[in-house]
Formats: sequence, structure tokens, C-alpha cells
Amino acid sequence: MSAVRVCTEHLEPGMVLWANVSGMDGGVLLGKGAPLSAQDIGLLAEADIPWVHVQRESIADPREWEERTCLEYVRRFFVFVNPDEPFFIQLFRVAVRRVLDARRHGFDLRCADEIQARNVEHMSDVFFRNDLTVDKLVLHETQLASFPDIYFKLKQVIEEPNSSAREIAQVVGSDVGLAGRLLKLVNSPFYGLASRVDSIERAVSLVGSQELSTLALGITTINFFKDIPPELVDMRVFWRHSLSCAVFCKLLADYGGLPRERMFIAGLLHDAGRLLLFKDLPYASVQAMLYARSNMLPLPDAEQDVFGFTHAQVGQRLLAEWNFPEAIVAAVGHHHDAALTPDSAEAATVQLADILANTAEISAGGVYVVPGCSSEAVASVGLPLADITKVLAAHDAAIDELVKALL
Amino acid sequence: MSLLSGSLTLRSAPKVTPEEFTALREFIYGLTGIDIPAQRQYLIENRLGPRLGELHIPSFGEYLKYLKFSREKDAELKQLFELITTNETSLFRDTKQLEVVRDKLLAPLLESLEKSGKKELRIWSAGCSSGEEPYTLAIMLHELLRVKLMSWRIDIMAHDLSPAMIAKAQAGVYGEYSFKTTPPDILDRYFTKRPEGFEIKANVKRLVRFATLNLNDQAAVKALPRSHIVFCRNVIIYFDTEMKKKVLSGFYDNLVPGGHLVLGHAETIHGVSRVFTPVHHPGGIVYKREG
Repeated sequence: MSAVRVCTEHLEPGMVLWANVSGMDGGVLLGKGAPLSAQDIGLLAEADIPWVHVQRESIADPREWEERTCLEYVRRFFVFVNPDEPFFIQLFRVAVRRVLDARRHGFDLRCADEIQARNVEHMSDVFFRNDLTVDKLVLHETQLASFPDIYFKLKQVIEEPNSSAREIAQVVGSDVGLAGRLLKLVNSPFYGLASRVDSIERAVSLVGSQELSTLALGITTINFFKDIPPELVDMRVFWRHSLSCAVFCKLLADYGGLPRERMFIAGLLHDAGRLLLFKDLPYASVQAMLYARSNMLPLPDAEQDVFGFTHAQVGQRLLAEWNFPEAIVAAVGHHHDAALTPDSAEAATVQLADILANTAEISAGGVYVVPGCSSEAVASVGLPLADITKVLAAHDAAIDELVKALL
Repeated sequence: MSLLSGSLTLRSAPKVTPEEFTALREFIYGLTGIDIPAQRQYLIENRLGPRLGELHIPSFGEYLKYLKFSREKDAELKQLFELITTNETSLFRDTKQLEVVRDKLLAPLLESLEKSGKKELRIWSAGCSSGEEPYTLAIMLHELLRVKLMSWRIDIMAHDLSPAMIAKAQAGVYGEYSFKTTPPDILDRYFTKRPEGFEIKANVKRLVRFATLNLNDQAAVKALPRSHIVFCRNVIIYFDTEMKKKVLSGFYDNLVPGGHLVLGHAETIHGVSRVFTPVHHPGGIVYKREG
């Protein structure tokens, strides 16, 4: 006999509890050994018990049950997308297979009731909601704190097309941490350089000066937002998602003939606006996240309700204030509504990359629904349906090492 | 046969046509004031689709007819409300804001009422969800007044659109999750441990009257007795400007002069209503109806 963990919403009459379930008062709510009735299952739901262990042998057709519940589970993440769009149908199928696979390798589904509660009562927001605008929020930040010197030196290098590899190497080399991460990045198999690169100067000549400087800018930004309270948001999860998106951006860039490094950085910084919201509106940010999760809404929709604007708008304004290349600024600003921009290939690429990153996270316990995307935006990226699996596999192969290298 | 061997489709509900969506949207708006933006069309399909299946209704157009003309329409409307409204009181528990309410609103108000010899207090919890808010207020009053409470007439009116939420509120039984920020001594004094959770004690329960109420029903709102404080947290977030205005003017009329309105932490009436005076306290803003 063996035990299997079952979410309360996936229980079926006839299943047999593996162990006693205790009630709130410490007594036995339901005893092990007897088949569950519909009323018993109702009682467990009433008592807010998210999951129980049942005897595997008591599941009538375990394979069918497993597939059906995985299907139901993944469907919850796709309530917001166009169910007739072939891209999303394909993505859905891929996601179901991934969850099924992960589950057979020990991944436990996140049950409907398992909403993490965090105590955030000690946080206070810098702004009153009354008079908050994107401008105020961003200017408060950029006037208050300045970017490290290296950022401006890098900017100079980028703006001066004749900078030599040696000059760039000198700038980057002045920040040992930055140089180390850059080398790890370009040496990762994901980067696919033929030979090992052991100096920044060599990296510049192989990757290109503009490209390498753009990468350096992006990595500097990660450092800039180090002081977000960990109980507010798990920064590793945040950056892992950003890095996932960056990887997908770079992979998708090839289909549309877009510059890879630039897309990589646009992906890495696509949620930069959220960082600013965490910093200055921690309490309201948590409300927006909980609101999104409990209502299965995409985050920008929840933010629109709570703040009156979205993290995409904040990110756009912030990166513009920091003089990031315009293409990156526009792509970040429209990564949830790419179709609304005139020159939208880049924004659409980030949007799709974000969706792929969200999909990849479902089988790793992600909690956010897959945001929608217009059919025009999907089409403009040029990713063939047949390549979705391939792109996801390429991402999976690269992500862990990149997380180690950069975070 | 494996479910995955066939071609898996993503669509699980009938398609709503643009005309049906507009008609449904207008119908729901007219009834509840809740506006469903166009980009939530798929969400509506997904939330209501299974209900259509249960009723063996083939399309959203037919479903709308059923909502309007069927003999079961009243019962069906309740089902519809369940599906389109969301409930997250426990997630939005905002203790800092409640401290402001206790220290800056309730305590001075009780004192001035007592001085004037009118020991009558009414609070309206408009949008009480599963009851945590009105019960928290009732507990606060117990804590502030202690034995003196007996000489007071206290009435907490608590309303919600959803009958299921009102039933849950009336039962007054909460899981562990609801108590993440509750001090243990409060839990001991005001709750009884039961197998299915913690049940609120009768001396708290009797201060609160629960009922279903649609904030869009102006006649019903007008008929309510007047209150010293109105709570409406995380409800108007669902409304468009037009509806917000309507609801806020209902609150204004309900408040006694000098009374206060409390909204959710992240909510604002900026640009919607000028009749209230915002009063800033560290921890939250409350809105005053001038005397």
C-alpha cells in the first residue's frame, strides 16, 4: 500500500484516507481506513483542509484520475487566454504534459486552498494612494538614489561607437563582480560560443561592444534592487522568472531577426517596474499580488484595479529616466499589450517570452495565470507551433546554470 | 484510453459572441454595478461555461434569456452573483487600518456619545464578505467597552451581495488561516474551538445583523437606518466611475453628520467624489462627512 497526496478539490467519493485528519480542536475530524463519502469531502473543504493523503489503491483508475486532475489543474492557468488561438492550444497541451511529467517525478500540485499568507502588516507605503501617479513614483526613485558610476561609464561606451575592446574591458573590469558574472554568462552553453572566453576584452570582440555593454547594464540593474524585503517577495523567484523571460527573449529573437542581446536584456528587465512598486508601495503591491492570485487575474489587471496603472508603465518610465536604449524601454512598457504599439515586434517578443516563462513555471509550482496576448502579437513573433516544445527544452537546459551565474 | 492521446482542446465553454457579451455585460452592470471589461471575456466564458453545461443551455444568449425570464431566475441570479463576485476578506485583513479605526474613530466616538448621553452606535459594513470585518469591529467594541457594553445599544449592519457569503458569515466559523494576525488572548476570549474551526461566541454575534444587499439597489440603501461609520473595503474596486459615484453618494446620505467612511487601503475616491473630507492618519485614510 502507498500514500498519495490529493488536493481536497480532487478528492472523489470512495477514496480511502491514509491517515487520520485532525480537526481544529486537535480531535479526529475524519478517521483513516473508511471510504470517503461526498459529505466527508464537503466537510474537509469546509474545514479549509487543502490536501490529504489517500491510499493509492483506493483510486479507481489512477492513471485516468492523474491525467484528469492535471488537466483541470493546468486549465486554471489558462482561463484568461483566447481558447481558440492555436498558439495557446499548443502551449496548453505542452503545459499539461510538463505537469504530468513533473508529477510523476514527485511534484505536488498546489492545491486551491494553499494560498500563502504572509504577515505584511509592518510595511508602510511611501505614497498615499490618493495622489499617486507613475511620474511621481519614478521621479521619487531616480532623484533619491543614483545609479553606480559604472553605469554611466558604460553608457558613454555604448554611445561612442568607436570605443575599443580594451576601453570597454577597462570599464567593466573596474567592477570585479560584474566582470565575473559577464564571463560566466558568455561562457555558458546557452551562449554557444565556440571557445572558452577568459577575458572581458576577448568577450567584447566575440559578442560585440554594444551587445556586451547592454548585458553589463542589465546585470548592474539586478544589483541596484538588492534591498527589497525578502518577506514581501522572494527575490530569487523574481529574478529567476526575469531570467527565464530573458532566455525566451533571446531564443525568440532569432525568429524575428531581432538583436539577441538587446532582447535578452529587455526580458531580464521586463518587470523592473515591479521592483519599484515593491520598494515604494510594498503594502499595496502585496494586495495587488494577492488580489491577482485569489481571483486568478493576470497581475497587470490587478494592478490596474489597485494602483490605477501597471508595472509595465512604471518600468517604461523608469528605464526611460535611466536612459536605456529606446527599443528596450518600449518593449518593457508594452510587454502586456504589444499590439498597441506601432513597432511592436520587440514588445510582442517580450510578451510571448513572459507567457512562455509563466507556462514553464506551472510545473514548478507557479501561482500566476498565463496572461493573455492578442493573436496579432503572437503572429508577429513568428514562432512556429511546432517549435514551442523545442524552445521550452532549450530554456530548461539553460536556466539553472544561468541562475547560478547571474544571481 | 489516455485523455492525452486525443487532441486536447483548450476551449471548455461555449463561445460568447460579441453581441452576447455586450448584452450580458450590460445586464450584470445594471443589476450589480459590476463592470466586466472586454478583456475579461474569456474569464466570463470560463467561469459561467460550466453553469451553462449544468443547465443544458447551449449558448450565452439563451442563458441571458434564462436569467431574465425563467421561473428560476431569482435562484439563478444568486448563482450568477456567486460566480462573478470574488471574496477575499481574509486576504485583505488590514490590521494597521483597523488600529486607526479603533484608536482614531471608535474610541473618540464612544467617548463623545457617552458624554452626550446617547449611548447608541450604528456601524454599517457594506460588503462584509464572510463576516471577518463586522466581527472584528464587534470584538473591538467589546474590548473598548468591556462591562459597560451592556448599557449600550450597538447595531452593526453587515451586508454582502452573495448569499453564500452571508450564510458563511452567519455561521461564524473560521479556519486557522483567518487568525494569522489575531492575538491568542482575543482568540481565547471570543472564539470557541470546534472540529471544523473556531466559532465566534454569541456575545459577539448578537451585535451583528447580516443580510444580503445589492449596493446598486438605491431604494434598499435609502431604507437603511443611518450610521456613524460606514465600512466599504475592497468593494468599489469592482465598480466603474459612474457606479462608484452612485454608491459613494449612498454612503454620504447614510452617514450622520460628522460620520466617517472607511475604504480599503489601496482604494481612493480621488477624482470620483468631493463631498468627503479625507483625514490622513499614519496607517490609513478615512473620509469624513462634515457636520
